[in-house]
Amino acid sequence: MNVEIADVTRRFGRTEAVAGVSLETGPGVFGLLGPNGAGKTTLLRMVATVVPPSSGGLRLLGRDPASYAGRREIRRRLGYLPQNLGYYSGFTVTEFVEYFALLKEMPAGQVPRAVAAAVERVDLGAKARAKLRTLSGGMLRRVGIAQAIVNDPELLLLDEPTAGLDPEQRMMFRALLRDFGQRATVVVSTHLVEDVGAACSEVALMDQGRIVFHGTPGDLVARGQESGAAGDAPLERGYSAVLAAVRSGVAARS
Amino acid sequence: MTAATAAPVRHAPGGARAVPLTAARLLRIELRRNAMPWILPLIAVLFWFDSYRPSTSQPPFWILRTFWNMGQGHTIIDFGPFVAGVAAWMGSRDGRRGMADMVTGTARPRWVAQLATWGATAIWAVVAYLAFVGIMFAVYAHQGLLGSPPWWWVAVGAAAVTTFSAAGFALGVCFPSRFAAALAAFGGFLLMMLSSQTGFSHTSGWAQILPTNSNGNFQLDSGVLYPYLPDLPIARIMFFAGLTVATVGLLGLPARAGGPWLRRTAAVIAVAGLAAAGTAVGLADTARLSARGMDISALHDAASDRPTPYTPVCDHAAGVPVCLNPAYRRWLPDVTAALRPVLTESAGLPGAPTRTTQIGATYSSGDGAVPGPGLTLSGRPPVLGIPLGALNLPGAFGSTAAELTQQLQVLFVHAFVIPGAGSGTPGQLAVQAALLQGAGIPLKAQPSALTDYGLPSWARATQHALTNGRQSANGVGPVTGPVYAAAQRLTGLPPVSLHAWLAAHLTALRAGQITLAQLP
Repeated sequence: MNVEIADVTRRFGRTEAVAGVSLETGPGVFGLLGPNGAGKTTLLRMVATVVPPSSGGLRLLGRDPASYAGRREIRRRLGYLPQNLGYYSGFTVTEFVEYFALLKEMPAGQVPRAVAAAVERVDLGAKARAKLRTLSGGMLRRVGIAQAIVNDPELLLLDEPTAGLDPEQRMMFRALLRDFGQRATVVVSTHLVEDVGAACSEVALMDQGRIVFHGTPGDLVARGQESGAAGDAPLERGYSAVLAAVRSGVAARS
Repeated sequence: MTAATAAPVRHAPGGARAVPLTAARLLRIELRRNAMPWILPLIAVLFWFDSYRPSTSQPPFWILRTFWNMGQGHTIIDFGPFVAGVAAWMGSRDGRRGMADMVTGTARPRWVAQLATWGATAIWAVVAYLAFVGIMFAVYAHQGLLGSPPWWWVAVGAAAVTTFSAAGFALGVCFPSRFAAALAAFGGFLLMMLSSQTGFSHTSGWAQILPTNSNGNFQLDSGVLYPYLPDLPIARIMFFAGLTVATVGLLGLPARAGGPWLRRTAAVIAVAGLAAAGTAVGLADTARLSARGMDISALHDAASDRPTPYTPVCDHAAGVPVCLNPAYRRWLPDVTAALRPVLTESAGLPGAPTRTTQIGATYSSGDGAVPGPGLTLSGRPPVLGIPLGALNLPGAFGSTAAELTQQLQVLFVHAFVIPGAGSGTPGQLAVQAALLQGAGIPLKAQPSALTDYGLPSWARATQHALTNGRQSANGVGPVTGPVYAAAQRLTGLPPVSLHAWLAAHLTALRAGQITLAQLP
């Protein structure tokens, strides 16, 4: 298993953003769904080793991120696209991706080729020398994806990766995800259930800091069909059905 | 986007050779995209108006021109606050740009990446400082300045600029706000102002370490008669290097900066930097003003005391040779003309100089006065020593040839009649006044002449004796009293009679054995 999460919690003051999540996943594309404030981003930040869990344990790529040596080794093999992509506006596309390749401790000799390949894979070859401040929101998102994949990561974490992408780019991006999923673990946090349906082999649904569903996209579709929940697409109906069931259960308990 | 599989990239960290290559690549990106070049035009304008342009009104000596802009720290004031502001802007970049998560989630220790950003910022700042100073020096050289450039001051300035960049960067890292730059720039400016004010009031002790404290810098004949004494600059460089190293080390202490080994290293570096800065302050506290500048015994190299050899230029029009350093050649006619009357008066008298030579001038930090007797008469046969660099050279600080003449004559007669640094007995003062009148300074004008800027403290006592302690509204009282009366009697004698009396009694007069009543 590339990602092993055991009863992990994360608190920010009195707020419990992640409340006892346990997950295991191996190579493939893993979709993380959930409403706003469900805890998806916090869970992803913990897996990205950006914030430590308040309790519980993580094991990533067979290493313990609690130790510095383990964390550093994980980070060398990690690609991470945060939800709010920051960028240095004066950098060119190539410089930005190269900068992160160097921060990821890629061997210096391999950096130029890897940067060029990553930029091409997100279809920004023509804009390689453009300053980031001149790019559209969708292009910036692709730059973010390029920096995440430049080191050919074994664990790729993408938080809302398709936000701002046009339909054509989203289709190409899903193909990219499927390609990475053949040899790496890709965790995609998204609101867009069609991304999950098109690219993910496994999906989890979070609500109020907990995993309330874990299975395949087919399982989620089945839950929707069973409940007859509202929605325009099968996965949306499954999504709504699971959340409705959880919330009615909570209401019943309260 | 394409799903084509890229060539797999190995994740193993590079070998020892790869580390410098990676660092060089990071540094190259940071250098290309640094904000420092954007502020350089503004600094250039400030540098022109605050550092270079005012200095051109000084006489053409390296020490005088560069004392204005480097000795008093103007070049550092022009650079430091802006460098601190831009460095804070760079240091706050990750926080302002919302990059914290992305850069934290990378393998390379955060401290190392920060060092690359700061390094590029500091390189831009220091290179710009050296370029601006280099251009200024090239212009000075083209103007044919006399003496030699103060390279130690340049090194101090570069070290100070580096420290400003480190301090500003650290502020930006710790407070990643858009206001960090303005705060750092204002803080830097405030520090410089405090440093200048402290420099004005502290003429010795620890405050000598401050780069804008000019008291330790102004040694009039540095670069002309002797080398610039490097003691204080070395202590200042040590101070700034220590502060820079400590600041950079402190950035490596937080948990997010890197692993335990790296953080321990950062702690050691920070402590070493603080120790170096503290040691430098301690060394500055031991600085003592010597004839050639601030002398710090722990750092002093005797080789720095060796005078710079030169072939003097001489003028024989005064009856005895008047010889100066060639750097002062343009004032040789003024000096010769000023000394001619008093050398003529003293000719043939015991202790009269047979030669006049230039000696190094010393600056008594703080009060602006020439210490001791000013001119010296020593040796057998006697040689008159003139610390010309300390006198009111025509063209320097608004001085005129008349002022130099008056000053030289007052100093010479005093040195000739009154040995040592004392103000003299009433008998000596009366003879001094008579000789000055003989040289062309009337008795009534002498109290005013004795207020010339740069005269030693005995001049005030002499003025007091000539006016019998009376003061007017402008501070210079009219001549009156017993010393004046005796001087009047002497000036009434024929010059030959006065000369004959001096030939017989000058030795006793110098010994303080002649009273006013014993004067003819």
